[in-house]
Amino acid sequence: MLEQGKIDSRQAILLIISLVLPTAILTVPAITVKHAAQDAWISIIVATMAGLLIARLVTDLSLRFPGKTLFEYAEEILGRVPGKVVGFLYIWWFLHANALIMDEYASFLCSAHMPDTPVIVFFILGIAVAACAVRNGLEVLSRFNQLFLPLFLGLLLVVFILATKDMKVTRLLPVFDKGAIAILKGAATPASWLGEIVIFTMIIPFLNKPKEAYRVAALATLFTSFYLLVSILVAIMIFGPNVTGHWIFPTYNAVRVVSIANFLERMESIAVAVWMFGGFAKVGVFYYAAVLGSAQWLGLKDYRPLVAPVGVILVALAALCENIVELLDFLATAWPPYALSVFEVGMPLVLLIVALARGKGGEGT
Amino acid sequence: MIFLLIVSFIGIILLEVPGLVKKKMWRELVAFSVYLAIGMALSIPQVLGIKVPNPSKAIEALFKPLAELMK
Repeated sequence: MLEQGKIDSRQAILLIISLVLPTAILTVPAITVKHAAQDAWISIIVATMAGLLIARLVTDLSLRFPGKTLFEYAEEILGRVPGKVVGFLYIWWFLHANALIMDEYASFLCSAHMPDTPVIVFFILGIAVAACAVRNGLEVLSRFNQLFLPLFLGLLLVVFILATKDMKVTRLLPVFDKGAIAILKGAATPASWLGEIVIFTMIIPFLNKPKEAYRVAALATLFTSFYLLVSILVAIMIFGPNVTGHWIFPTYNAVRVVSIANFLERMESIAVAVWMFGGFAKVGVFYYAAVLGSAQWLGLKDYRPLVAPVGVILVALAALCENIVELLDFLATAWPPYALSVFEVGMPLVLLIVALARGKGGEGT
Repeated sequence: MIFLLIVSFIGIILLEVPGLVKKKMWRELVAFSVYLAIGMALSIPQVLGIKVPNPSKAIEALFKPLAELMK
């Protein structure tokens, strides 16, 4: 066993929230609002349904193979060579997704806060901190997350409540103006974010009560969707759909306008603190999945020697991204089909069907 | 820049390799070397100003028919 740590259900819920939410409230609102305008909140509800189905699929698959991760049972289901191919593709996806997450963060910090700091500084610092956490194992990562995430989620909610002063519900009208196609297009991006729950397959084996996995996955998805929904509603009700769709970070701008009695203002520092932390946690989980996956894929006895080289690869991949416009364009158009059809639905579904057909794995609970 | 990069690579090697050799974990050592070589291959050209192909571009091209639907 490469990882001796065990985490409880509550830590797992918080870990999955960290896995999806931080970049979701950062980049998703702009993309969804661009497609669906004031109906973006309906898109999020559609995406939540899809997210719950993906969560169910992933949990069904994992529970058939207790104590094993995706990389181990892919080989058991498909045979040695095809299983290795699937494993390789997942390692690639974890690394690539992680590089994109780093890009989102670094470009957010660069464009909104520290324009004079070279972007590579954020990559190196972020990866260095995440590498320490990953080296110490899943337990350390999830305890850290359990300590800070509730605090930050609470703070974010308070900021949103303070922003109600500037909201107008009429900005959500007319409902269903853009039609069903636009709403579905708007739902693709948040669905591909919620589908990142695929990484739960790397965490389920280390739950101390695997039977609660369904509840964990569903609660985490609902919680994430709730925050995503609130952040989109806040942005639309403050600025209206046209302005929101043209901003890169609408939620950030929404937080900025909060001003109570000329005294309680500049709340964006709280939002930035939340995102700094969240970005670190999200990068950490993807990093952990890539490193543990690689170690299992190569049949190593210990995953820790791989932490530093994988960090180098991540920084180098992240540095390849040229600018934020290119990045957002990729995330809005190529990312949903790439992530959703192959890694989040396609491969888990194929694995589950083949496992059922060949009668591999236990009954599942 | 290139100097700093090479110093950090040497730092990573000094941090990991002696422990691996001492514990005779050869398989891990090979995996470590291959991963670090990939990392070097991606990072050294960037520092020297040589253009490295961006994998996101390849994925964009691969998923173009589906991506068109998202426009």
